[in-house]
Amino acid sequence: MRLFEYEGKELFSKYGIPVPRSRLAYNESQALSAVDEIGLPAVIKAQVLSGGRGKAGGVVVVRTKEEAATEAKRILGLIVGGERTKALLVEEESERVEEMYLAVSLDRGRREFVALASRSGGTDVESKAKVDMMEQQVPLEGLTDAGASALSTKLGLSGRTSSEFRSMLLRLERLSREEECELAEINPVAVRADGSLLALDSKVVLDDNALFRHPEFSLLPPEDPVEGEAAKFGFAFVLLDGDVAVVGNGAGLVLSTLDMVADSGGRAACFLDLGGGAQRDRVEAAVRLARGLPSARAILVNIFGGITRTTDVAQGLKEVAADQPKSRVFARISGAEEDEAHAILLGSGIQVFRTAQEAVLAAVKEVSP
Amino acid sequence: MTFSLPEAGDPVIVQGITGMYGSLHAGLMLRYGTNVAAGVTPGRGGRVVEGVLVCDTVKEAVARTGAKASVLFVPAKALLSAAEEAVRAGIELLVAITEHVPIRDTLKMIRLCEENGARAIGPNTPGVIMPSRRLKLGIMPAPSFREGGVALFSRSGTLMYEVADTLTRSALGQHVALGVGGDPVNCTTLIECLDWAATMDEVKSVVVVGEIGGDAEERLAEHIVETSFPKPLVAYIAGRSAPREKHMGHAGAIIYGDYGTAESKIAALRRAGAKVARTTSEIPALVSSAD
Repeated sequence: MRLFEYEGKELFSKYGIPVPRSRLAYNESQALSAVDEIGLPAVIKAQVLSGGRGKAGGVVVVRTKEEAATEAKRILGLIVGGERTKALLVEEESERVEEMYLAVSLDRGRREFVALASRSGGTDVESKAKVDMMEQQVPLEGLTDAGASALSTKLGLSGRTSSEFRSMLLRLERLSREEECELAEINPVAVRADGSLLALDSKVVLDDNALFRHPEFSLLPPEDPVEGEAAKFGFAFVLLDGDVAVVGNGAGLVLSTLDMVADSGGRAACFLDLGGGAQRDRVEAAVRLARGLPSARAILVNIFGGITRTTDVAQGLKEVAADQPKSRVFARISGAEEDEAHAILLGSGIQVFRTAQEAVLAAVKEVSP
Repeated sequence: MTFSLPEAGDPVIVQGITGMYGSLHAGLMLRYGTNVAAGVTPGRGGRVVEGVLVCDTVKEAVARTGAKASVLFVPAKALLSAAEEAVRAGIELLVAITEHVPIRDTLKMIRLCEENGARAIGPNTPGVIMPSRRLKLGIMPAPSFREGGVALFSRSGTLMYEVADTLTRSALGQHVALGVGGDPVNCTTLIECLDWAATMDEVKSVVVVGEIGGDAEERLAEHIVETSFPKPLVAYIAGRSAPREKHMGHAGAIIYGDYGTAESKIAALRRAGAKVARTTSEIPALVSSAD
């Protein structure tokens, strides 16, 4: 679960990491009173979870109240990476002489947490960072003073900046560990003329599987009705931008089906993993949900029956076939009892196949002009 | 850390055997021929599930049966403490079927195993199966697997079944099939699986099923080159068409920027000399031609 910038900064404050003064605003008038409180010039920042906010015009410095009003109006509703901006952070502008990068992140390959830091922070860090990113291993019990000093030395920091860096790093690491983050990132860290540091942005990704130990972050139910329905049934669901809705039992299986759809010249409308134990009612719910997507013109169901009984799946599919079909169902059913499953669907209006490739081709053909 | 599975008929235990999932799969393991000798659920000692005696503690189950391996169906919240209990009781192989385990708990499990000379597979794994020993430590559907010379290692459960089924239908049986798990961090890595496969005479070729997210396949490719891995290797990577920054079902299947893309993995494996299948249905032909 990724936190908004303002949520991440609230955590930073809780752990004593210095951040600029800021106010959250949900509309233009709130933004203007925030500007009154913060003073000018101020920075107005779209609160979105998608990357590329700056390039999309979601961060702007305003110098007058008129400018603030215009920009607040423009940014509220701005679409960044498909996501609509619903809130703004109005923040004091911070002078700085240098921008650094600092993060505590899971290194999947090494199977440990690492602290990462660079003297060249800012928006282009992903391309630049490969050159001068410094690393320090983070033990499970936490980073020691010596570990923090080692990273500061690797960066060539000294004086006040070095001591503030070590303090910021230790606090960020404690935050990462106690709140169970996959990533706690400050980019950029502002280095001011007096050598002091300030966290200008936050990117905090919590470990979803650890949320049971952190009830204060409980996941809000998805706003989108389709995602809400998927969550209710425990489906893994990702909305995509094509017209073939892909449903299957198992994440890897659905993922491979998406690739086959793409290879056949089609475009998937969604990724829907039923999960294990694809019983009849779950299959029905999944197909109804997929059919409900405005963009879906064909439903492709890929079931490999192992522990899942393919006859149960077939019964579920037969049930939905009785509905008025807006979009036709193409099902691949393979595995234990597949002959019986295919027999159940005979004459149901659902096209059934033994291999995924055949089902994919039929579904893609259905939506082709 | 070495790798050894129980021999045919060796006793194994199931932690969390009284749950719906635990009891279902304890039964299926037994019917496959695996010697599920005892179950463990705290507070449920004395019950019998699928003809198997339930104990309150792993210590008691180990004392009664001499088991060295455990399959865990415990809830995510309880996995780390269940693993600690198992290792303290002398369990050397833990197969953690449990999904939704916090990353830091998995990291602690890795350290627990390292410090005690134990091995864990998973979490979020379908487990491991060795048909020649009638050994099924997990939830995979037995009919898809046949004895043979392929070692199959997978990050995905259902794709492991699908690929095994495809191989089996092409008369390419498996010496072992193991799911490393769908999480960002796995207690047993693909690299360890490959090292293990290199030592097994029965293994003639290896099939690796990877997916988007992380860099396990890239690391594996480096390892293949560094160790001059001596057996033919066929790989398949799911998720070529997946969008970025979205969890595609598995917690570990997510692309950030250019990190974790299928292209990167496919290119790395090709450079290392692996044959990369475009679909799972191409795998048997590539395995046959690789021999």
